[in-house]
Amino acid sequence: MREKRDMETQSIVTRPSPPDAVDLRRRPGSGENRLAAIAAGAAVPADIHAGVFASPAVLDIENFNLWYGQKQALFDLTLPIPRGKVTALIGPSGCGKSTLLRSVNRLNDLIDSVRIEGDMRLNGDSIYGRSVDVIELRRRMGMVFQKSNPFPMSIFENVVYPLRIDGERNRNVLQEVCERSLRGAALWDEVRDRLGESALGLSGGQQQRLCIARAIAAEPEVLLMDEPCSALDPIATAKIEELIAALRGEYSILIVTHNMQQASRVSDDTAFMYLGRLIEYGPTVEIFTRPHLRETEDYITGRFG
Amino acid sequence: MAGENRNAGNGFTGRRRLRKPKATVVVADRVARSVITLGGIGGIGAVSLVGLFLVYVAAPLFLPSRLDAERAVATGEPPAGVVHVAVDESATMAWAFHRDGSVLVRDLRDGRTIHRLRVPDGPSLTCWSFSLEGDRCALGYADGSVRLGTLGFATEYVDADDVRAAGREPAIGEAVPFRRGMVERTPEDQFRYREIVLALGEPLVLAAGTLVRIDQSRGPGGSLVAALDVEGRLHVGERRERRNLLTGELATQVRGGSLDLRAAGLLPAGGIAPSHLLLTGLGDNVMLAWPDGRLLRVDTTDPADPQPAGEVDLVPEAGRRLTAIAFQSGKASLVTGDDLGRVRVWFRVKDPEGDSRDGTALVLAHDLSGIPAVATAITPSVRTRMVAVGFADGTAALYHLTSERRLVTVDATGDGEPVEFLALAPRDDLLYAQTGGAARIWRIVAPHPEASWRALAGKIWYEGYGGPAWIWQSSAATDSFEPKYSLMPLVFGTLKATFYSLLFGLPLAWLAALYTSEFLAPGARSRVKPVIESMASLPSVVLGFLAALVFAPALERWVPESLTAVVTIPFAFLLGAHLWQLLPREIMLRRSRCRLGGMVLGLPAGLWLAFALGPTVERTLFAGDITAWLAGQVGEGTGGWMLLLLPLSAVAVVAANVQIVDGWLRNSSTGRTAREVALLDLLRFLLSSALAVALAWGGASLFAAMALDPRGGFLDTYVQRNALVVGMVMGFAIIPIIYTISEDALAAVPGHLRAASLGAGATPWQTALRVVVPTALSGLFSAMMIGLGRAVGETMIVLMAAGNTPIMEWNVFNGFRTLSANVAVEMPEAVQNSTHYRMLFLAALTLFVLTFLLNTVAEAVRTRFRRKSLQL
Ligand SMILES: Nc1ncnc2c1ncn2[C@@H]1O[C@H](COP(=O)(O)OP(=O)(O)OP(=O)(O)O)[C@@H](O)[C@H]1O
Ligand SMILES: [Mg+2]
Repeated sequence: MREKRDMETQSIVTRPSPPDAVDLRRRPGSGENRLAAIAAGAAVPADIHAGVFASPAVLDIENFNLWYGQKQALFDLTLPIPRGKVTALIGPSGCGKSTLLRSVNRLNDLIDSVRIEGDMRLNGDSIYGRSVDVIELRRRMGMVFQKSNPFPMSIFENVVYPLRIDGERNRNVLQEVCERSLRGAALWDEVRDRLGESALGLSGGQQQRLCIARAIAAEPEVLLMDEPCSALDPIATAKIEELIAALRGEYSILIVTHNMQQASRVSDDTAFMYLGRLIEYGPTVEIFTRPHLRETEDYITGRFG
Repeated sequence: MAGENRNAGNGFTGRRRLRKPKATVVVADRVARSVITLGGIGGIGAVSLVGLFLVYVAAPLFLPSRLDAERAVATGEPPAGVVHVAVDESATMAWAFHRDGSVLVRDLRDGRTIHRLRVPDGPSLTCWSFSLEGDRCALGYADGSVRLGTLGFATEYVDADDVRAAGREPAIGEAVPFRRGMVERTPEDQFRYREIVLALGEPLVLAAGTLVRIDQSRGPGGSLVAALDVEGRLHVGERRERRNLLTGELATQVRGGSLDLRAAGLLPAGGIAPSHLLLTGLGDNVMLAWPDGRLLRVDTTDPADPQPAGEVDLVPEAGRRLTAIAFQSGKASLVTGDDLGRVRVWFRVKDPEGDSRDGTALVLAHDLSGIPAVATAITPSVRTRMVAVGFADGTAALYHLTSERRLVTVDATGDGEPVEFLALAPRDDLLYAQTGGAARIWRIVAPHPEASWRALAGKIWYEGYGGPAWIWQSSAATDSFEPKYSLMPLVFGTLKATFYSLLFGLPLAWLAALYTSEFLAPGARSRVKPVIESMASLPSVVLGFLAALVFAPALERWVPESLTAVVTIPFAFLLGAHLWQLLPREIMLRRSRCRLGGMVLGLPAGLWLAFALGPTVERTLFAGDITAWLAGQVGEGTGGWMLLLLPLSAVAVVAANVQIVDGWLRNSSTGRTAREVALLDLLRFLLSSALAVALAWGGASLFAAMALDPRGGFLDTYVQRNALVVGMVMGFAIIPIIYTISEDALAAVPGHLRAASLGAGATPWQTALRVVVPTALSGLFSAMMIGLGRAVGETMIVLMAAGNTPIMEWNVFNGFRTLSANVAVEMPEAVQNSTHYRMLFLAALTLFVLTFLLNTVAEAVRTRFRRKSLQL
């Protein structure tokens, strides 16, 4: 079963390009041309390294297109997110990283003008299928946002929120989950004596870690993180990066970041996006040391962006 | 030049900013700032001026009363044999009635006698009584006859020439002796002449022996007279005069009866005659009082058959004596003074359980003690419940009896001699006190004797009521009526209106706000919001009109249906929601946009159900006639208890579901299809509903079996214009403002909180209730407070639909009167600067303070809320 899925994914990537597509894959160094072509609206196939197919995928994105009203924000994205690994999404501002992330747990449904095509699969289950229960689906994922967003309640209630909404009332279970999640988010020692206090009294870094604790409390299949460190100082960032490293293996993590060092430090795989398209996707080591495409190299070395 | 400047700059960038704001900009900025400042100060100033004005008009109510010494008069040698003294309107003259039947009129400026007259010769005069108003008298004679008549000052305007011809030329405002009385030149330059008039009717033989006590009243049908003869027989006579419409002849009809007190054993040992005989204003009671405080009531409802109707001891303390007694204006309340210095008020109240013949009992209603001297003279005011009391130590005091206040005291004689006679000028503006040969006159400054904090806020026992109560009743048909100014019923009415309208409007407004902000698509939201807000522009007079003329009659026609609808509409909604869950999952998800339409169907479905069940409900719960049931005429309490207990039992059942059944259901639902779970849910809902009804029924039967009846509290006699009508219509009126503010507060909850909650897998409902509502709670609260403020001040709707009866009852089906409606109703008829007028201003002030407080609280909460939401 797993084999077959991988085969399928492969086949999608290697399928013949549409007639009007410009195939620039075998011409590294022609970065400007490729980006200019994308800017001009041409469909350029992504360069996906074979390394990302090495482990089974937790999430498969299949020919995914998304429009905000008339404006298309994501173009024909096809990529697998490996299970138990950290996948980084990089790319210049406005290229659709957050949009992609929010599409995974269908938070985009809340925006009226959004229209999508294609599908995603979480462990084989369709996400955009007709009879999918969105609520059910979201419970299988955790999300950490760019700006920390604790609820105006106690620290304890914040952490156990996902259980509360499931109707869990057993105090022992709640306490156990709270401690485990806070330990997981490396926050336990700092807040163990003040679980009953308002979460708004925590520092920004602590709040962000609290949000991570909340996101992992329900033991999600995928953890979605949208620039979780962008508002934090280096020490807090380091803590969160440590945390991500510790969570690797246990959780599948999809993280958006603008920080190339961060991407190279924490992720196993890296996807580079540009103007709503996937440009290159491969194991982080490869992307950062020997990228196939000149544009990717230019971007990560900071020559444009 | 520009280049030079740039280089010569000394800013830290080495450059200086060259552009200066244009003069017009600077001026415009200053003008804007001062206009805004002025506007702000002006607004605050205007509001405080309104408050100050209200205080300014209402404050005189609480000024202390005063007696300003006017003058002292020497009336010559001590007046031997004087039995009654009365003064004229401006206290320029006084007449004194003497034991021998002579009447002396004195000029009260110099004490000289102006005129002297005598009752006609005949049998010797033995007893007398004079009306409080100073116009009528009754005289009893030794031969057992009585003469009723007029005795008092009469006023007429005379020609200036006549006065001048008599050599009198008074200055304006001055009074001079003229003919048999005095003439006064009024500020309008007219000559007002006042003289004593004595006119007696034909003798009427009541008894065979000498009369010793007499009193008379003018009842509804004619004159009544009661007299006691020396043998101890009480005689009552009623004289009716009827004019024959055809012949124009005056036919006089006299009838009466007597009661032999001695024979009935009602005279005390030794056969002592009572010291006072008093006949009530309606002529239905004769009261005989003895010096030891014993009072015997005789029922004279049928003048032909007087019967004893009970006794009271006015001075129970052994050895103490009753020293003065008089009727207050209206001749229903007795004022008694005793040798302990107490001034007390007694009147009859209904006493159906008592064994008295006329079903009433004389009770002590007010007790004003405090002056340690024998009360020697009591003179009630003709117009109000004020009374002047003189004491043996020379003190004179003014009391306001119903509010139990001693307004003011003076040393009336100056030498410790007892006060012998007291008189109040008919307009209550002058007090006359006489002792021996000296009299003094004071100007009374007591414009609002009935107003006190106690009278406003406390319970007051008014004449004719069964006990102390809060009553607002500012006017009535009769002269002897005492206005009752308690603000409590009005404050109560205001609170009642507010309570019921919030009960109806608040949940609707909040739910609507929650629905639009959390569930409605943004497009629809931007259309729905203005529509609801435009409801606010509906003039409240239109709402009031609809409420009074359309809604109230409709509600009255369909009472059981309306009550049933309270239950069936939520039931229909919930049933609909459960049925929706039964739809195949695909259809349900795909058709989720039709949900709103489906929900709207709940209303007609609930109404239909209500109308279908209404008659059955009325038959089974309310004995087939809810109006009679509410009035307490038919049926038992079960139905009403059911009505009251149903919400409670529903809450209990829901709680039980959440606590017990939910967990069990969740455990057993694993492995079942969504459809099975939905079916299970529906089953549970139906069972729970049945259980709630059964529970309510059980509780109701239990209460009814314990002989408890819900009628008399929240449920009572149905009145067409009632709190339910007002609650619904005013609830409708306050929905827009609560809705707008609540919606803003909910929408102000940062979207990232919603995203976090939804991202964690919460349903929109969970997000709304667990995250959005708690975050916006203070905003919702402040919306409520502002709605409250609006409901408190709302006038038109309550004026038109509340019935305006100032009663204090929580009964949903009865009306009330609010502060605002009261001001609106009564202000046009209030005489400027009267107590009533100032009282209305006080009501307005109360309203002002109430709304001001509410708005301040709301504002404080809102600032807090704004600070908190900035934190997020
Ligand atoms: N709610 C929206 N309505 C319309 N257009 C949107 C909306 N959200 C995002 N977009 C557009 O979609 C594109 C992708 O936005 P997105 O937020 O996904 O970028 P991003 O890669 O996350 O950028 P950044 O790194 O700055 O966060 C942008 O052009 C943006 O303008
Ligand atoms: Mg983004």
